[in-house]
This record gives sequence, C-alpha cells and structure tokens, in this order.
Amino acid sequence: MIIVDNIVKNFGFFQALDHVSFEISKGDIVGFLGKNGAGKTTLMRILTSFLAPSSGKVIIDGDDIAKNALAIRQKIGYLPETPPLYNNMTVESYLKFAAQIKGVAANKQRIQLAKVIEECHLEQVKHKTIATLSKGYKQRVGIAQAIIHEPKLLILDEPTSGLDPIQVQQVLALIKNQREQRTVILSTHNLTEIEKIAHRVLIIKSGRIIIDQSLNVLLKEKNGMHALSQAEPQSQSATLEQIFINLHQLDSSQETNGLTQHKTRQQVTNG
Amino acid sequence: MGKIIALAKKELHGYFSTPIAYLMLIAMLSVFNIFFYMIISQNKEVSLRDIFQIMEFMFIFLVPLLTMKLFSEEKSTGTMEFLLTAPLTPSMLVLGKYLGIMTFFTILIGMTIIYYVIVEYFGSPDPISILSGYVGIWLEGAFFIAIGLLTSSWARNQIIAAMMSYIILFLLYFSSSFTQYFTGTVETFLIQLSTRTHLENFATGIITPSDITYYLSGILLCLVLTRLSIDNRLWQ
Repeated sequence: MIIVDNIVKNFGFFQALDHVSFEISKGDIVGFLGKNGAGKTTLMRILTSFLAPSSGKVIIDGDDIAKNALAIRQKIGYLPETPPLYNNMTVESYLKFAAQIKGVAANKQRIQLAKVIEECHLEQVKHKTIATLSKGYKQRVGIAQAIIHEPKLLILDEPTSGLDPIQVQQVLALIKNQREQRTVILSTHNLTEIEKIAHRVLIIKSGRIIIDQSLNVLLKEKNGMHALSQAEPQSQSATLEQIFINLHQLDSSQETNGLTQHKTRQQVTNG
Repeated sequence: MGKIIALAKKELHGYFSTPIAYLMLIAMLSVFNIFFYMIISQNKEVSLRDIFQIMEFMFIFLVPLLTMKLFSEEKSTGTMEFLLTAPLTPSMLVLGKYLGIMTFFTILIGMTIIYYVIVEYFGSPDPISILSGYVGIWLEGAFFIAIGLLTSSWARNQIIAAMMSYIILFLLYFSSSFTQYFTGTVETFLIQLSTRTHLENFATGIITPSDITYYLSGILLCLVLTRLSIDNRLWQ
C-alpha cells in the first residue's frame, strides 16, 4: 500500500527527515511516535503530498507521489493537527463542500454526507455553525471530512490532542471503526491510545526511524518486559512509555524531564 | 469545473455569512451615490464618465480590503493544508477563489446600474459610452482583484497582504503622474502603465484592443503568478 524509500527532507540547513524508509501494508493501523519536532508531521505532510521530499521516493497504492500527486490525494483522507474547519459554515455545508472538492460524484454526495454524519455521530450538530461546536465535535467533523470520499488511506495527525477523556474515547472508537475499511496512520503523544488501536509502531527520533515493529513484538522483546506485556492494560501502557523514554534518553538525557522519568518508574513499579 | 464552482460558492458564502460584505456594499454605494449626486448637479451632464473615474479611485481602497483574506486567512487558520491536500490543482484553487470574488464584485457593479436608469430618465445619454464605461470599470476591478489575490498568496497576515496591494495599486494608478520627471520611452511606458490612461478611453466610449490587452494581460499575469506562488509553497 505505502512504500517510503530513503526520504530526506531539508528546511534550509535543518534536516527534518534523514533517510526514512518503511513499508505499510493494506489494512494496517500504524502509529507514529516521537517527541515534538521529531519529524512526524513533516513525514505525514510528505505522505499527503503537501510537502515535497528533498530526495527519496514515496509510492502509495502504485502511484509515485512526485509524478501523480493528484491521484494520490484522491486516495488519501487527512486530518492535520489543527482541524481545518471554516468556522462560519455549518457542519453540513462544510462537509458538502469537502465532498465537492474531493470529487465525490454529484449523485452520491447526499448519500456520503448522510453516511459520514451517522458514522461520526454528528446528527445533533449538523445544522450548527462550526464556530459554536465543542473541540470534540470539531475533531469529529475533521475526521468526517477526511473520510467523506472513501479514501483508501487515512492519515491523522494527533487526532486526540487537547480532548477530554470522554472525547478521546469517542474519537478512538471512531478511528477503530475505520480499520476494516482503510489503512490508517496516526501520530499521537499518548502511548496508551496507540496501544489500544495500532498494530504497529514507528518511533521517530531527530528525523530517523529508530524503531519499526509490531506493537506486540515491541512490548515483548524490549527491556525484557514479556511478563508485563501480558499483564493488565495499565502495565502495558507503562511499558511502552518506558521504552519510548529509554530510547529518547540514549543521547539526550539532559533533555528528558526528570519528573516524567520518576513518574514512569513509579508506574512500572506499581504495575 | 464542478470543483472550481464549489470553491467559488464557498468564497461567496464566506463574504455573505458575515456583515462585512453588506457593510462594504452599503459603504461603497453610499459613497458612489454622494459623488453621483454631486457630479450630476454640478455638471448637468447626462454622462457617467466622471462617476466611472470616481469608482476607479474608490476601488483602490476597496479591493485590498476585499482580497486580503483570500489566501492569508486560509494560511493562518490552517485550512490551506486542507485545500492543498485535497485533489485540487493549484489552478483550480486560484480560479475558484477568483471566480468567487469576481461574482461579489459583479454584484457591486450591477447595483450601480441604477445610475444609468436615472440619467436615462432625465436625458438622453449615449448608451455606447456608458456600456463601454461599465466594461472598462469591470475589467479594471478584475485587474485590481487579481493583484489582491496575488499579494494574499504571498502573506500569512491579512494586513500585510492589504498593504502590498495598496502599494501596487497606488503605483499603477499614479504612474502617469511621474511623467514630468521623465521623457521619451520611460514617459510613454509610465503613461501606458497607468490604469487611469486605459479607463479614460473606456469611460469616453472608446474601446481599443490595446486597452483590452492591458487589462487581460495584467489579469492573466497575476493569476499565473498566484498559481506559481501556491505551487512554490507546495513543493518547497
């Protein structure tokens, strides 16, 4: 489904991505993990053809992104970190506009609109102006626009950022429902969320992929935590967090917040 | 074409969903009405020549206010990422936005046709010169809007976009005023560069290929530069 081959992205003298390569199969849910500034958003923007790589190749569903960006965009649904919404529009008119510019056939627009409104639980707010919606609803509208044209690949950049726990559960459930229909890539800081929905994890550090493994294998193999990975969910989350922090401590121990380390150790001990 | 129309409708909806569009229409028409009354009562002429020139001057102030948000707002709110990751070409995006704002501008111009009805009622104006004046003022507005669209694609901040438009429009409008400092080719160039030179012909009922070429090439140049500006942003 996706082949990323030796991608490099430079912004002036700053190298945001450093020879990144990976492949993602159809139907996978893959989580991108990494600190702020690690290169997750840049990588997602390259996959959506919003940015061009400085070098390297991206092939999505058989199409080279450099040669056929338009065809690739037709196959991708993308939710950026900040939901791209027009506050003066109603939910329904915004989604209709999204359907039109994403090339949904005129005779199918009404059906698709009804489908995503139902799927994203937006019935109650469909006539409301977007500016008046809660953050959770705005996020769901953002996901609705991303799936309205039935994309094969769904890319979500921190879809649960800034939401309260109930809203997080709702958005996660929504993403989980997508996995039967399409390949999903998401980035998040919340490791528990990744554990709940992803099959595979790519940990990115300073523009390089340092871990690319299935979640189960990662939890079993790293740090000899096999026993913990079989335990209750809270322990698993602590394990992944520990792995994540350990990896980032390798050559940047001064950057890591001491309080987080202490908290993580406590969680592991308690778990 | 469907995508371009969808973009244009969205743009038009953006103007009319806030009081800004209505306030602008009321403000501009009020100013035009005052000048219309003053010119008619002073000149006692059944002609709209002077009113077209007032309109031209007022558009220098109005158009940057209308166009400053076109791309700047999309950039600052993050919706540009939505548009540029949708299956749209940069040309569709530019044409969609241009069509949307040109529709708004045409509505504004359309509302001034009442002036023709008034002068027609009280006298016998030359319909050809009024029609050519309207063609000229419409082309001039279309050119100004294309400039505003271009500067909006350069800036994330709406005020900066508007300031850049003001600078370009003032230079274009007043370029013929600098002829006293130059002679020969430069003088001719400055006269031909000025929008005033070209509108004057239209306002007096003269439509020449060179005037039409001036506006159309100016519009085309700005739209192509806007497309390149977006393309450059996309593949930087």
